[in-house]
Amino acid sequence: MSDEIKIAAKGVDVFYGDTHAIKSVDVEIDDKAVTSFIGPSGCGKSTFLRCINRMNDTIDVCRVTGDIRLEGQDIYDKDVDPVQLRARVGMVFQKPNPFPKSIYENVAYGPKIHGLAKDKTELDEIVEKSLRRAAIWDEVKDRLDQPGTGLSGGQQQRLCIGRAIATAPEVLLMDEPCSALDPIATAQVEELIDELRASYTVVIVTHSMQQAARVSQKTAFFHLGELVEYGETDRIFTNPVDSRTESYITGRIG
Amino acid sequence: MQDNAHIASVFDRDLEGVQASIMKMGGLVETAIADAAKALDRRDTELADAVRKNDKLIDALEETVSADVARIIAKRSPAAGDLRTVLTVLKISANLERIGDYAKNLAKRTSVLSEMPAVEGAGGSIRRMTKNVGLMLKDSLDAYIQRDVDLAEDVRQRDAEVDQMYNALFREFLTHMMEDPRNITACMHLHFIAKNIERMGDHVTSISEQVIYLVTGEMPDDERTKEDRTPYATAPDEA
Repeated sequence: MSDEIKIAAKGVDVFYGDTHAIKSVDVEIDDKAVTSFIGPSGCGKSTFLRCINRMNDTIDVCRVTGDIRLEGQDIYDKDVDPVQLRARVGMVFQKPNPFPKSIYENVAYGPKIHGLAKDKTELDEIVEKSLRRAAIWDEVKDRLDQPGTGLSGGQQQRLCIGRAIATAPEVLLMDEPCSALDPIATAQVEELIDELRASYTVVIVTHSMQQAARVSQKTAFFHLGELVEYGETDRIFTNPVDSRTESYITGRIG
Repeated sequence: MQDNAHIASVFDRDLEGVQASIMKMGGLVETAIADAAKALDRRDTELADAVRKNDKLIDALEETVSADVARIIAKRSPAAGDLRTVLTVLKISANLERIGDYAKNLAKRTSVLSEMPAVEGAGGSIRRMTKNVGLMLKDSLDAYIQRDVDLAEDVRQRDAEVDQMYNALFREFLTHMMEDPRNITACMHLHFIAKNIERMGDHVTSISEQVIYLVTGEMPDDERTKEDRTPYATAPDEA
């Protein structure tokens, strides 16, 4: 883990129409580390995650105020192109959602539209490198022309991670990446996340407390739109400061 | 610690159950200490035998606690305060089991000592020392139930008195043995008894430290004053 701050949010509020979904959140996310967001359903953790690559822009009634900086640059600045931003800040979703195309095309699509490869050889290299990093290359290398949707759920999710990596992002946002996977596939994705943190800043939203404890170095607990507690994962799971955090992670009625 | 219940009420019952076992163990160990001291004092070999027999109950409870803790960890993945609860329960039960063993050892030596002439002055000192440790144990268990850090800290500090009492006895026994070699056998047994009581104090101290960890999440780190100087003594006046 480097000591550098990759993402710095200050005074972030999010409104969905009249609903105040995120209330004045300040958080600094470490570079080359895994940070997990935990909290009960509706606490705002996914909403906040989506602010980091401006996914909320696509929702008409959603309004984001405050300051979110990626390496010091305000990502909500009017000069920032959200499409370019999302190439730097990739996202993996709850349900694996490969494009209805071949495995190869799933991964090659991003680099092609962002012009990251000058010829077929380079594109082949990016696809192979991305699938290797996503720990799925050996399983798909002989059937790259087959549809991505034909893979198992766990393989599809690793394909989606490979797809997200292909545009050479700096940050990977993962919204419940294992909730649709069985325990074996979950363990494989968790192992992958641990490998990815050498190269990327990973932020993961998870409903599994044990997953947060296993994969992340820092944990943020959200409750009713507030960031209640944020700190080293080891400390949060052994000795949380706030009683609301303790209630949540020990499975008590808060 | 939290007063509100777990959503899974079975988890609450499991945690309560394993802590109840600890309290039951604590009660048995308190009785073992008191009875062992009484048996020694009154040369009551029947009571000494009862202490030796009852140690089996303490050992069995420790095994129950270990099995329960393993089951809770496997099934519930306890975190935060729950995690500290099961960790401390496990350590405290080990401490109690050891104290029980020392009490049993005291009882064993009682049967030998009751056949010998009494060593002058030793009875009273050992009685006082045992009473001290018994009270410390009671307070440490109360501190556990009440989650009382101050009381636990107080117990921790009181261990120095037990160490001092042991030092004094060590000097006394050396003196007696030098005066008359016929005292050696009895004094050796009495010395082991005194040492065992001193060790009981160390285990009670450890229980108090577990209480502090349970409540605060951190082990107390300041060095306590150690009053046991006997490891360096070569003559009665050096201890």
